Amino acid sequence: MSNFDFERIWQSKRALHERLTSAPIAEKLRLLDAMRERAVAIRATRARNTATVREQSPPYGEQQ
Amino acid sequence: MKIAEVLQIMNQMQSDGIIDCYAIGGAVGATFYLEPISTLDVDVFVELHAGPGSRIVTLDPIFEYLRARGCTLEGEYVVISGWPVQFLPPSSPLVEEALRNAVATDVAGTPVRVFTAEYLAAIALQTGRAKDKARLLQFSEAGVLDEATFDAILTRHNLVDRWQRFLRQFLG
Repeated sequence: MSNFDFERIWQSKRALHERLTSAPIAEKLRLLDAMRERAVAIRATRARNTATVREQSPPYGEQQ
Repeated sequence: MKIAEVLQIMNQMQSDGIIDCYAIGGAVGATFYLEPISTLDVDVFVELHAGPGSRIVTLDPIFEYLRARGCTLEGEYVVISGWPVQFLPPSSPLVEEALRNAVATDVAGTPVRVFTAEYLAAIALQTGRAKDKARLLQFSEAGVLDEATFDAILTRHNLVDRWQRFLRQFLG
C-alpha cells in the first residue's frame, strides 16, 4: 500500500520548480518548443474527435 | 518548431534595418527568469517609425520581409519556424520604457533582447488578466525581482495602489 508523505512530495515539487527556474535559458527554450508541440497535437486530436461524433436523426415518421 | 530560430531572425531583421529596437515579452520573456511557461505564441515588442514622407506607422515592412523568407501570415501572427509571432508596438508609457530598458541576454551564442523581470512583472500587474496575476505570483515567489527597481517602476507608472491590492488579495 502506498504511503503518501505529502511533505516529501512538496519538497520534490519545489526542487523540480527550482531546477527548471535555474536551468540554462537554451534548455528552457527547448522545453517551450516541446510543450507547444504537445499542446498543438492535443488541440488537433480534440478537434478531430469532436468532428467525428455526428448522429443522424431517422427520417420523420419512421420508427427506430 | 524552434524558438531559437525565431530569436535569430529577430536579430537578422535588426541587422537588415527592418526593425530598430525589439524585445521579447510575454510568456517567452518570463521564461528567461522563471520556470518554462507553456505558451502558443511569441510576443515581440518593436519600436515602429513611419516611413519616409508618411505619418502612418505600419507593420507592413516586417510582414513583407518575413514573407519573402518563406514565413506565412495567420491573422495578426507571422509563423516563423512553426511559432506564431506577434509584433506589438508599445501600447503604454510603461511598455515604451520597458522596451528602452530591455537587456541583451546570450542564448547559446545568440544575443537576445528581453524585458527585465521587473518590467515584465509591472506589465503583468498593469494588464491584470487572470494569467497575468498568476505570472506575477510566480515572479514574487521566485524572488527574482529587484525590490527597489520594481518599486520605482510602480511609482513612475501609478501602479502602487494596484500592487497593494494585489498583495492583500494574494499574498496577504
